[in-house]
Amino acid sequence: MSDEPTETPEAADETGSVVERTQRELPSWERVRESELFVVGATALAVAVFPWLFARAPVISGVLNGYQDLATLILIWGIFAMGFNLLLGYTGLLSFGHAAFWGGAAYAAGVFSAQVSSSPVLVILAGTSFAALSAWILGFISLRRGGIYFAILTLAFGQMAYYMALSPLAWITGGENGFTGVQLGKLFGVFQLRYPVPMLDWLVGTWKYVLVGGVAVLCVAAANRILHSPYGMVFRAIRENDQRAEFVGLNVWRYKLMAFVISGAFAGVAGSLYTVYSAYVPLSSFYWTTSGEVVIMAVLGGVGSLFGPILGAGIYLYVENIVSGIQQLTLPFTGPNEWLTLVEEPVVLLDGFGAYWHLILGLVFVAVVVLFPRGIWGLFQDLGGALRRLGGSAVKRLGGGR
Amino acid sequence: MSVLAEVLTVLLNGLQQGAIYVLVAIGLSIILGTLKFVNFAHGALYLIGTYAGLLITLEINVTDGKLADWGYTPIGLEWGFLPALIIVPVVVFGVGLLMERFVARPFYDRPDTDQILLTFGLAIVIQEVFKILFGGQSYNFARPGWASGQVGLPIIGTFPEWRLYIIAITATVVVLVYGLIEYTDFGLVVRAGTRDAEMVELLGIKLSRPYLMVFGVGAALAGVAGVVGGPLYAVNPNIGTEILVPSFLVVVIGGVGSIAGAVLGGILIGETLAIMVAIAPQWSQVGIYVLAAIVLLARPQGLLGSEEVAP
Repeated sequence: MSDEPTETPEAADETGSVVERTQRELPSWERVRESELFVVGATALAVAVFPWLFARAPVISGVLNGYQDLATLILIWGIFAMGFNLLLGYTGLLSFGHAAFWGGAAYAAGVFSAQVSSSPVLVILAGTSFAALSAWILGFISLRRGGIYFAILTLAFGQMAYYMALSPLAWITGGENGFTGVQLGKLFGVFQLRYPVPMLDWLVGTWKYVLVGGVAVLCVAAANRILHSPYGMVFRAIRENDQRAEFVGLNVWRYKLMAFVISGAFAGVAGSLYTVYSAYVPLSSFYWTTSGEVVIMAVLGGVGSLFGPILGAGIYLYVENIVSGIQQLTLPFTGPNEWLTLVEEPVVLLDGFGAYWHLILGLVFVAVVVLFPRGIWGLFQDLGGALRRLGGSAVKRLGGGR
Repeated sequence: MSVLAEVLTVLLNGLQQGAIYVLVAIGLSIILGTLKFVNFAHGALYLIGTYAGLLITLEINVTDGKLADWGYTPIGLEWGFLPALIIVPVVVFGVGLLMERFVARPFYDRPDTDQILLTFGLAIVIQEVFKILFGGQSYNFARPGWASGQVGLPIIGTFPEWRLYIIAITATVVVLVYGLIEYTDFGLVVRAGTRDAEMVELLGIKLSRPYLMVFGVGAALAGVAGVVGGPLYAVNPNIGTEILVPSFLVVVIGGVGSIAGAVLGGILIGETLAIMVAIAPQWSQVGIYVLAAIVLLARPQGLLGSEEVAP
């Protein structure tokens, strides 16, 4: 986001650009797009229509083959990836231990629901607080070393959480079987989570999705607020050059720790939502492959932008759940069962395609790291920018322009 | 069985367990210390070594995976263990050279995080390729016939012979690598490059070839570890990622770039595991992470690491 041309020359003037920004009478499209109200509103709208587009809309859902629960899952992992990106994309710290916070929150939420209260909101709060607290402790230890060591240490302590849950704490976590005793009550004491929303069930489905979607919008709002505050600015400064940030007089270590805790809290929100979603906590939510998955999602979608990681989560889960079921890769528009068929006989490109999904995702991931460090979202942005420039130069050639 | 004998058995088991970690960790450590390149695909090199060893050592029967589809159900050369111990390091050395040239070198100037992401992705790709070729199931990598028995030791009594061989092979390899780094001109350049790469280049020595060799040697060590460690565990495509985390801990505990540190760290972790298994098996895996946490809190650069080499 930092290398995007968001500031026009006059805004970057030496005298306080913020004042100027508020005094402008007619905000340009760029400004509107940056405003918090717009970001949150657009997110809310997108979240509201997403399951319909994905699972029930004519034509689109037929192509996508999506289903309601996958939409919920994508939002949950989207929150996780977004929080992860606050750390990787904005502060420049690569953690391989975020499964500890996702899994920790999931277990804490599950245990809380069984032992204390089954109210979904309280369950989510409990899981999130647990994750934030454990992020504080693990961050405190891991941040003693920077760069690559940080990645290794977070990986190690994430694994430690896994082994803790596996055997010493098996009496509370259920060990290998995972935690099965999740109890879920009604949302605000009124709405049963698995019931469809009256009148609106064609659009958003069940109350569960409403809860997850609402939390997702809140999370986007929170992340957006953090990133556009001076606090978020410091994160970016640390990513660019932490030594310089130190010289300016910022307590870099403290900011890094806070970024770690915030991102752990987001992972906690997502982890507790996952408990609410599936009413079961598998042991594998602690394993380091879970951390790996969120790394892949964030990088695939694009680090350093608010929505890139959510896109990445969507792509990953879509490939994992839908594409992996495809037995044969056929040329598009051939064969039966498609909304548009050009040739009746399917033209098979690759047999047993579904089995390769992990490999293909891995290759795409490597390609993204090598070629597009800003991910697929960044690629879209670049393409959009190129199109706009193309349009701009055409306008100029026609004697127009601003 | 006396208490002393039991203690000695546990310690010897720990030494054997640590030996595998040492072999993997030395490669990680010298690559990290010299090239400043963090290789999350090092576990994948171990994986390649194990499967290559499997193919050379015995005729294995593949029941699923692509190879079975193509009709290669019994594959392997049945050449025995010693040829594998010689051939596999050479093969993995070659893989390491390719990796340095085409994966690591273009990424030396990119941020650490990009290096980690790239090698992490590569590790997934290699693991998946093996899963597709051989299927997901586990194979048994039989220990060689000449070392499958028990051996009588003073005080301890009987002890599996193979475990002693692991310790002996590791010790030999470590001494060889230590000699290579400490007493040859090549090692001199490498050590100087670790200290100050720019100064070495200014002296007119091109570092690209030593770097290539360091990566190759590190990879070959992972290959040796794959062959030596293969008979200890069931062989499946996940072993690469499973060995990676403890090996990284060994590097962090011992200190980056230090061979002695990797040996010390490996032995510490192996002994911790063995002792914990003996007294509190539930906590055995947790123990090594606690050990790592304590070492880091007390000495962030690792036990034998120096501050300037490891930022």
